[in-house]
Amino acid sequence: MSGNSTSASSLPVTVEKPIPVTYDMGNLAVFDTNTLDKNDLDSSNGAREEHLKSLTRDNMQLMINQILSLPIKTTTEATGGTSGQSATVTLIQLPQPTTELPREKPLPKPKAPTKWELFAAKKNIKPKERAGKMVYDEASGEWAPKWGYKGINKKLDDQWLVEVDDKVKGTDDELIDPRTLSRAERKKLIKKNELQHKRNLKNSMGLK
Amino acid sequence: MIRTINPKNARAKRALDKKEPKLVENVKQALFIPGQTSNKFLHEAMIDLSGFKKPNIKRFSHRNDVRPFEDVEPIEFYSEKNDCSLVVVSSNSKKRKNNLTFIRTFGYKVYDMIELQICENYKLLSDFKKQTVGVGLKPIFSFQGEAFESHPVYKHVKSLFLDFFRGESSSLQDVAGLQYVISLTVEGDFKEGESLPNVLFRVYKLKTFRSSQGGKKLPRVELEEIGPRFDFKIGRIHTPSPEMVKDAHKKAKQLEFKTAKNVEIDGMGDKIGRIHVGKQDLNQLQTRKMKGLKAKYDQVDSETEAYINEDEHHLNDDSYGEDYVTASEIEPPSKKHKK
Repeated sequence: MSGNSTSASSLPVTVEKPIPVTYDMGNLAVFDTNTLDKNDLDSSNGAREEHLKSLTRDNMQLMINQILSLPIKTTTEATGGTSGQSATVTLIQLPQPTTELPREKPLPKPKAPTKWELFAAKKNIKPKERAGKMVYDEASGEWAPKWGYKGINKKLDDQWLVEVDDKVKGTDDELIDPRTLSRAERKKLIKKNELQHKRNLKNSMGLK
Repeated sequence: MIRTINPKNARAKRALDKKEPKLVENVKQALFIPGQTSNKFLHEAMIDLSGFKKPNIKRFSHRNDVRPFEDVEPIEFYSEKNDCSLVVVSSNSKKRKNNLTFIRTFGYKVYDMIELQICENYKLLSDFKKQTVGVGLKPIFSFQGEAFESHPVYKHVKSLFLDFFRGESSSLQDVAGLQYVISLTVEGDFKEGESLPNVLFRVYKLKTFRSSQGGKKLPRVELEEIGPRFDFKIGRIHTPSPEMVKDAHKKAKQLEFKTAKNVEIDGMGDKIGRIHVGKQDLNQLQTRKMKGLKAKYDQVDSETEAYINEDEHHLNDDSYGEDYVTASEIEPPSKKHKK
């Protein structure tokens, strides 16, 4: 970043302006509102580019001076590559940008509440505290998940002997395997949940 | 309209989620579209401009029949399809020579548009001594001219160029990353009624030298032009509707900085908090429990005793005496002000 020049070393590092320039440090921008002479900047003027350059240089000098006056944070950052060396990096802490620029997209909309969430809010029902997925299975002496793979809600499925409910005894349903019944019940719950999910999605679309 | 897609796998879902509106937005992507009348010079000019915006760019290689000021629909389509909110369209005609249309979109709808025509005395990047800047570096902007603060058209130009080239917004800036300057100058001051002067677009490389005057800290700054050099003549302009401006400048409530009340840091750097405790109701205070302290054994003071034992017949009296006040005379209870 620094070089050596015999001519540059003796030149001033400060700039005086009739109207002080304003900065937007967050966007690294400097705004110079001083008057500009039309003749200096006219395309027929031979010294036009020189003039433009010196104008920008003065503003940059002010900007750099301003930047270097900001709080500095030095961190050690591993530089990429094979050497595995780390070097200190001087970072300048910039304030928030002050120039207002339009957003790219509108602000994200909050998620629409589900039917249950609405009901719970009305009745002031707080979500249940969940103790976790695993429960202790007394019979086997092991921890087992409440649901899912090897879940205890599937216990009935692989019993070699199951009780038949008194209610169905003597009716046509007597011969239906109670094991398949418990499975069917679980599947039904899943279907119901999916239906509710779909209904909520549909409602949230309608609200938009 | 682009058809809505239901993501069938996690990768598609992630890709769609990336396009969703975000609280803290990503860097605006720029899309460069050569118009039907684009030429070689405009192609090169677009490449030069896109170089400072890399890697947040997409560039079409084929000409497209788009005329932003006649029909915005294709622009909005490309903007949505490519998820780009900055669009540059090039075109060339007798009336508008070497024209670049800079379009910004908000929510895939055209926000504002401005035509900038490159005047004859241009110089491309290749016309200068080959100097490059690193990809993705943030430039320093320098805006010269009073009009950038006051005139709506130049304000538009300022906002556009800041938005276009500022890159990643971050609170930390590496000093070594400050390598180049984008300078925009109004070609002289002007009065109301005069034709709009050109905007001079210059890019310089920043060079710093150790200076004897600045001491250890302040360097002497020198510039070297690296190009491109464009003089932009201002053409047609499309300004956004007030509602759209309002929508686009909305601030998220969640991101607002909240000042912590009653918390201060004193001269020693210790954090001090002040807590306001409500008035304590000492009647409810639980003291030692014993039979003698039960409420039924409470001693009634003489004044209340006298009040209780007083004759009650005057309370049944219907006539209002002089000592009564009417409702209108009663002062409203003044709210106690808390400090």
